[in-house]
Amino acid sequence: MTGVGRLGRALLSSYFGLLVVFLYAPLVVLLVFAFNAGTIPTLPIKSFSTHWFSRAFQDTELTSALLRSLLIALVNGLAATLLGVAAAVSLARERLPLRGVVVTMILLPLVVPYIVLAVGLVVLLHEFGIATSLAAVLAGHVVISLPYSVLVILPRLRTLDPSVAEAARDLGASDFKAFLYVTLPLLAPALLSSFLIAFTISFDEFAIASFLAPPGSPTYPVFLYAGARTPALLPEVIAVGSIVIVVSIAVVIAADVFRRWAERRIEALPEATPLVG
Amino acid sequence: MSTTTVTGALVKPARLRWLSSRAFARFLTAATPTLYVLLLLVGPIVLIGLYSFGLMSNIPGVHGSFSTSNWSDFLTGAGNPFRSRFFTSMLITLVVSCAAVLGAYPLAYFLAFVARRHRYTILLAVMAPFFTSYLLRVIAWQVMLNNDGVINSLLWQLHLRANGHAITWLIYSKFSVGLVLFYAWVPFVALPIFVVLDNLDPRLIDAAHDLGAGRFSTFLRVTLPLSLPGVVAGFVFVLIPTTGEFIAPLLVGGPSSQMFGNSIQAFFSDTPDWNYGSVLAIALVVVVIVLLALFGRFVSPDLAAPEEAAA
Repeated sequence: MTGVGRLGRALLSSYFGLLVVFLYAPLVVLLVFAFNAGTIPTLPIKSFSTHWFSRAFQDTELTSALLRSLLIALVNGLAATLLGVAAAVSLARERLPLRGVVVTMILLPLVVPYIVLAVGLVVLLHEFGIATSLAAVLAGHVVISLPYSVLVILPRLRTLDPSVAEAARDLGASDFKAFLYVTLPLLAPALLSSFLIAFTISFDEFAIASFLAPPGSPTYPVFLYAGARTPALLPEVIAVGSIVIVVSIAVVIAADVFRRWAERRIEALPEATPLVG
Repeated sequence: MSTTTVTGALVKPARLRWLSSRAFARFLTAATPTLYVLLLLVGPIVLIGLYSFGLMSNIPGVHGSFSTSNWSDFLTGAGNPFRSRFFTSMLITLVVSCAAVLGAYPLAYFLAFVARRHRYTILLAVMAPFFTSYLLRVIAWQVMLNNDGVINSLLWQLHLRANGHAITWLIYSKFSVGLVLFYAWVPFVALPIFVVLDNLDPRLIDAAHDLGAGRFSTFLRVTLPLSLPGVVAGFVFVLIPTTGEFIAPLLVGGPSSQMFGNSIQAFFSDTPDWNYGSVLAIALVVVVIVLLALFGRFVSPDLAAPEEAAA
């Protein structure tokens, strides 16, 4: 006997159906209006066209904003994952002096509102006499990505059998080499997740970028925001936005499929090649 | 050649030995991320704190001196507009958090108990919009809710409303801000509730049935109380970030539905007064600290040492 009766099942299923419509409706609307030939997104749609896509990709302000964001997101994905691995390795140790301080610092970016971090970084740059720059945007993005990176990598690190890395050290590998050639490959799925999460956080981030991106070189979200408030730019914003939405949903699904596949493979490894008698 | 030079050449000076030692490597791996956050997050908050008490100034030539006037104006000034916006904003946050939990619970319940076999795939499908750009989703809602947007023009096409007459509260209102925030958070809140429900021991529900409880009373007296940790976690996951929200009000909010985050933003951009803006920013930090003190134990992720976790 399950906890849900026939009526409950019907009600819950209908609610689920409605919620899926609610969650996807705005995204579908954006996708449909990307092909709207008119300038104003309103019904009825008189004719369809792809000219907003070609217009968008000829708009160098848009494309360069997109490239800026892709670059920052890429470096952020790598930097946050690197720092995340360092933090996770430290936290996985049995003995860590000042563990409380390390844990607090790693988790703190999760709870500080982004607007506070954004204005704080503005003040910090001002005190040191540094001009706003894309590097400053990146530095802020690494702060907010770090906790997610650690929360993805640390649980995976804990499931690894420490005797595998020990075996490598017994066979003469240094600490660093044992980590690089044994532990790190086993962490690959978690590292990929960490990279993708950090990439996404940075690519979408508006609060910090709106304060720290120098005038004249906006990131993609900063451009989006300006575009959403400028009726003439809105159709381009919708066209490129629909591509971004399709790509990010495809990446989320692909990453999940890959993660499940990779974790199954790695979990199958110890049986296939027994390292300890 | 004397033996002392040989040993002197073989044994590195103490400082170099420390730099290449395992202890130093371990120190670096822990200290780098910690100091990074300390410098770029704690440091700025301390600076904002100093600004809020007038100890620093961004106006060239003006030297800061300790003053509590901005604080007392914000906290006790008669009819202070930022204080009243603070309370409106916290009310919106509270309503959105409660609504998101109420909206997410049946979803989590459906995933855990009805969609059993394919629940992880369906969960992914529900979560996927959450991983697309937040700003784009707000813009999508702008297109939906606009005066000549999808919803209004659809009603005109269906002759449910006179052509050209838009529903006035659909956009630039507290409704639109609340709706967009609810939309953004529902899938995310379902996650912690789903995890708790999915790990519930089915024998407890069987036992309740065997002891004569109906389905509804089993839910009320067994399932619901056991799922409360997930509910509180989801609630706090929305509550804390929404206290500083300012993007949705910028795009779909009107003058009366601007939130506290918008006030902070304005003081650091449109009408710069860093000292007053810092008071508001620190007030927000205090709110978060209070919320963490109240609810922190429901949401703290497990980062303890292995043996501490086992103990």
